[in-house]
Amino acid sequence: MDNLENLFERPTRRDVLQWTIACGAAGALCPILADGAFAQDVAGPGALPGPKLKGLARHDAMFWEALEGNRVKCVLCPRECEVADVERGYCGVRENRGGKYQTLVYGALCSANIDPIEKKPLFHYLPGTSAFSIATAGCNIECKFCQNWQISQFRPEQVESVLMEPERLITFCQARHAPTIAYTYSEPVISYEYVHDTAALARQQGIGSVMISNGYIQEKPLRELCRRLTAVKVDLKAFTEKFYEETCAGKLKPVLATLETLKDVGIWFELVILLIPTLNDSPDEIKQMSDWVVQHLGPDVPMHFTRFHPTYRINNLPSTPVSTLEHARQIALDAGVHYVYAGNVPMHPGENTYCHNCKKELIRRTGFRVEQNRIREGKCPDCAAAIPGVWSAEQSLAFKPREMSATELPHDPSR
Amino acid sequence: METHNTRRQFLAQIGAAAAGAALSGTHRLHAAVGEPPAASARVIIARDEALAHGSVDEHRDLLRRLLDASMQKLTGAADAAGAWRRYFKPSDRIGIKVNTLGLSTQPAVVDAIAAGLMQAGVPAENIIIWDRLDVELEQAGFKLNRSAQGVKCYGTDSETIGSGYQPQVETNGRIGSCFSRIVAEQVDVLISVPVLKDHNLAGVSLGMKGFYGAIHNPNKYHDHNCDPYVVDVVSHRFIAPRWRLTVCDATRAQCHGGPPKSPGYAWPFGGLVVGTDFVAVDAVAADLLETERKARGLKSLAEEKRSPIHIATAGARGLGVADLAGIERVAV
Repeated sequence: MDNLENLFERPTRRDVLQWTIACGAAGALCPILADGAFAQDVAGPGALPGPKLKGLARHDAMFWEALEGNRVKCVLCPRECEVADVERGYCGVRENRGGKYQTLVYGALCSANIDPIEKKPLFHYLPGTSAFSIATAGCNIECKFCQNWQISQFRPEQVESVLMEPERLITFCQARHAPTIAYTYSEPVISYEYVHDTAALARQQGIGSVMISNGYIQEKPLRELCRRLTAVKVDLKAFTEKFYEETCAGKLKPVLATLETLKDVGIWFELVILLIPTLNDSPDEIKQMSDWVVQHLGPDVPMHFTRFHPTYRINNLPSTPVSTLEHARQIALDAGVHYVYAGNVPMHPGENTYCHNCKKELIRRTGFRVEQNRIREGKCPDCAAAIPGVWSAEQSLAFKPREMSATELPHDPSR
Repeated sequence: METHNTRRQFLAQIGAAAAGAALSGTHRLHAAVGEPPAASARVIIARDEALAHGSVDEHRDLLRRLLDASMQKLTGAADAAGAWRRYFKPSDRIGIKVNTLGLSTQPAVVDAIAAGLMQAGVPAENIIIWDRLDVELEQAGFKLNRSAQGVKCYGTDSETIGSGYQPQVETNGRIGSCFSRIVAEQVDVLISVPVLKDHNLAGVSLGMKGFYGAIHNPNKYHDHNCDPYVVDVVSHRFIAPRWRLTVCDATRAQCHGGPPKSPGYAWPFGGLVVGTDFVAVDAVAADLLETERKARGLKSLAEEKRSPIHIATAGARGLGVADLAGIERVAV
């Protein structure tokens, strides 16, 4: 019955070759190829076996308003696309059909893998566990450095997909004992309805849901979704509007608003900042970003500074020097952020977790593999300091977002 | 009709032409074909009252005669075959880009073009009618044909999913897109057959805007009235240097509510708008839409904040003549 049975084969020769090349470029040996030591999400549209979805996976969309002349206004993300009949929004996966807005990717999975949760990366969320990781096509921004552009920058009819309704996905996930579903690789915000329904069902079945996102979403749908999710990772692409506009076709301000909302809701979240030489790696910018994080989000939100490799539309810049990551990490630590990591550099000490209080090593990692985890009941075994994060499935599923009072609720243009 | 240019206009046009040649190679290509166009900024508006009545399909012979006459007016050739030969040679592999979203290109108009090409000695097998999707082509009344015989007709997404686009991203100006393999690999000459119609974002959906159908990610380029993205697409080496003729299907037109069909704003213009300067054809066609809007008491596109500014941008980049004062309109 499943056409995803073959998804979890060992890597192909080509995969191994790609990873080997990537490791070589990183200047490091890579002894754990089979686990995928790099944050290089290679799950592509061609990787899915079995019968492919024919046509589009249509479903009524949430968060839109009707306009005159059969036009609609999407209020899911900050773009607020106004879309004529038969046209689509910027994301390419939400379409106006006769004055009603529809998602075209409800259950249309174009990538699926079982990944270590560290690959997301979430380092303070059930370390050492796996996440059933899925994606649908499309994105609501366009990062010129996107490593998954073959799915994120294409329309759903242009990538191979298989249909997996929420119920089937949960069954599939249970059979593989994955405690978490990760909505990842492309942009889960724009497959909102599927994430919304699946995450609710998963939680009923004791499975957590984490969203790996660019944070480009409006407040109301975000708060609604957080009632179903158990953690979020946000890519903070840079700390300047210039970078967001020129390199991502987006805006910084709404992403910062998202981070403040996540903080207010109380859900566990971590930040990833991909440092690209000359574009977003200046010490001043990293300092400003780190100061903002401490001031607005608090010192316990982990920051991952990760290494860029040339791809998609940025092929004229070198990979990020490891020294840049180390410098950025130090700047953030000096600013008062408690947990700062260096990413995409396997076996670097900056991949490990150290107690913010006594500085002892708590979790040792090699790539995405957890070699040792000394945290006990959420505490440092040496100084008993509470370590921020989600350390058990029970804790994960017990999360309840802080609800807003009626006067606090954001303006809802759809009502 | 005579046009008189000032010295400044003349110099500006020379500069624009030079820039356009540098950008796209359009002018060099015309020279390579054999003969330069008789008047690159001449636009033919061919109408026949009979076309406004009944179904367009009933008027296939009339459409052929009208199009042949347009080509003769465009070139000054003594006969239709000679006019078609002015622009096309038997070895050309020709892609006819139609528009099948909303109010669609009429198959009868495309048949007339194919017949004209065959007069120039182009084998039917060298002609591909194409747009994005098979399903949209069929809905517009085209018969798909992927066989080796006859005029071919298929969408970019007709084969294995996703394989219809080139795997690499082409960057031009602000766009970064994968182009349809049809336009990139299977043809070396393009004819555009847009519909005379309105577009809610770009102002108009004419020849230039229609080439959004050649890239995989048109949804990314709708901001700022699609400007300069439309021009970045058409000025790419796969489009402008290959684009030899525009036949705007104005048998049925729509002045508002596009690109979906909005019958209340459609009218039977009963004609074709033809030219080799794709910017000039779009400029004239946009003006026809504005005229109809005004006649109906609708706000201008500028008042609706959706001026087709990409036409002026294309003119400024030297891809053609955007200024109506510099375009010779010839009625047939």
